[in-house]
Amino acid sequence: MSFRHVDQYAAVVSPVTRTVPTARLLGTVTLAAGSAALPFGAWMPLAVLFLAVLLIARAARVPARQLFIRTTGPFVLVFLASAGLLVLVPGEPLFTLGVLKVSSQGLERFAFVLGRASVALSAAVILVSTTSFPELLHAFRELRLPHVVTASLGVGYRLLYILVDELERLQRAARSRNAGTGSTTRRRLLVGITAAGLSRAFSRGERTHRAMLARGYAGDVPALFSQSWDRRSTLALVMLVLLVGIVLGGAHILS
Amino acid sequence: MAHIPDGFLSGTVMVGTAIASGAALAVAARRSRRDLAEREAPILGAVTAFVFASQMLNFPIGAGTSVHLLGGVLVGAIVGPWSGMLVLFAVLLVQALLFQDGGIASLGANTLNLSIISVGAGVLLYRWFLALVGVGDRRRVGAAAVAAFLSTVLVGGAVAVELAASGTIPIKPALVVVGGGHILVGVVEAVLTGAILATLLRVRPELVTVSAGARPVSRPLALGVAGVTALLAMAAGYVASTRPDVLEAAASRLGLAQQESVGATPFGDYGAPASGAWAAALIGVVVVFGLGWVVVRLLARGRLRA
Repeated sequence: MSFRHVDQYAAVVSPVTRTVPTARLLGTVTLAAGSAALPFGAWMPLAVLFLAVLLIARAARVPARQLFIRTTGPFVLVFLASAGLLVLVPGEPLFTLGVLKVSSQGLERFAFVLGRASVALSAAVILVSTTSFPELLHAFRELRLPHVVTASLGVGYRLLYILVDELERLQRAARSRNAGTGSTTRRRLLVGITAAGLSRAFSRGERTHRAMLARGYAGDVPALFSQSWDRRSTLALVMLVLLVGIVLGGAHILS
Repeated sequence: MAHIPDGFLSGTVMVGTAIASGAALAVAARRSRRDLAEREAPILGAVTAFVFASQMLNFPIGAGTSVHLLGGVLVGAIVGPWSGMLVLFAVLLVQALLFQDGGIASLGANTLNLSIISVGAGVLLYRWFLALVGVGDRRRVGAAAVAAFLSTVLVGGAVAVELAASGTIPIKPALVVVGGGHILVGVVEAVLTGAILATLLRVRPELVTVSAGARPVSRPLALGVAGVTALLAMAAGYVASTRPDVLEAAASRLGLAQQESVGATPFGDYGAPASGAWAAALIGVVVVFGLGWVVVRLLARGRLRA
């Protein structure tokens, strides 16, 4: 297994990749928080933010088709999670599905939640498409995230590929022995595989720890990436924050 | 909907939960470093990778659906509550950014629910049950299973409150659908937590028995907390609202309220035959506590295979 396809546009030179990773991360958070903070029914401001995201995707050289494909999976989950709004939000009944009454307010809220989620999902996909994991870790460090979180993410990321591969191998080995054909047996088998995975994760963690100590590790994982803030990044981030602020302010004044 | 996607929460709720989570994580980071010292990065890295990988394994629960491990109590039982919170936060961060599972703007709320409440409340309950039933491998498994169930239900309640506070769904249907849904998820989480912990205790017992920063709860304190819980429930009987509860409100909205109930119950509408709501509350607490006790004891004796 490999997650290397995730950041496939990180090496592409573009106005987005020329900014520092921290600015990219903060920009993504600004867009996601800005769209989430829009009042219900603010369709025009939402459309402006969505347009801004599409323009950023174009600037990052992320093809629209790629953006669409990569947001589809998470979007389906959001769609299923928000479907309940159709019947749970009280209002004038629009139509009925069996005993469930779909209200017009529920339909509008459902559509608006999907719209807000689309902006945030697209922004997140652009971020991870243009930013490698070490760059993200560097951004977390710059944002003063607890050292223990960045350190364990750094080690965890290295172990993750190996561990997922091992879990898949354990599953394949079990299947090849025709183990777990029944539903209950399969559940037991999966529990066993998960516990074995935890045990192996610790073994690998301990080995990694010993290797790190041998190389002089004293509690700090050195950063593999360094890129300092520049004027371009500051300007890009300020412009984005201003845009989101104006859109958000306008939406709240008009609502 | 344990991972709240972006678009569901209001700005106020997002900021409020982010501040609360940030403060809790700051305390957790300080305490974790004290507990694990320079071993923290490799140990927590291994557990982070494990939780992430194990959440990719889906367990079939029938009717074409499957669930995955949340892992709050399991991780807390192994590395301690403070480190456990940081591990779950790291997992949530990667899931939100790399896989868009849970929103970026709602990361504060997801951290509060799945890291702070799930691990913090879960480990607190786990240690409380251990203090009540005594320490031993099977009791440990039983206590972890019950704590995993209750912490998952608490997470469901927190998600429902956050959605209602954001004005996305009214509180009553939110509690019924989201909170109620987490009861089923909680059962599966309890079984998975108990089963994985039992397997781990067989193959690598040292990982569980030397959990970092574990400070046992004394038995008198545990019994005192149980007594206070009963008193609070009895007091709540006096101040309880007489308006329809969440299930009644939802039934009313779905047009099911007019249907006759199947049969009479001894404590209908939380009233006891003799002494009113406080007696019903006391009986309820004793029955729930007794059921939990029986489950833990049965698991301890190995009658239930987790």
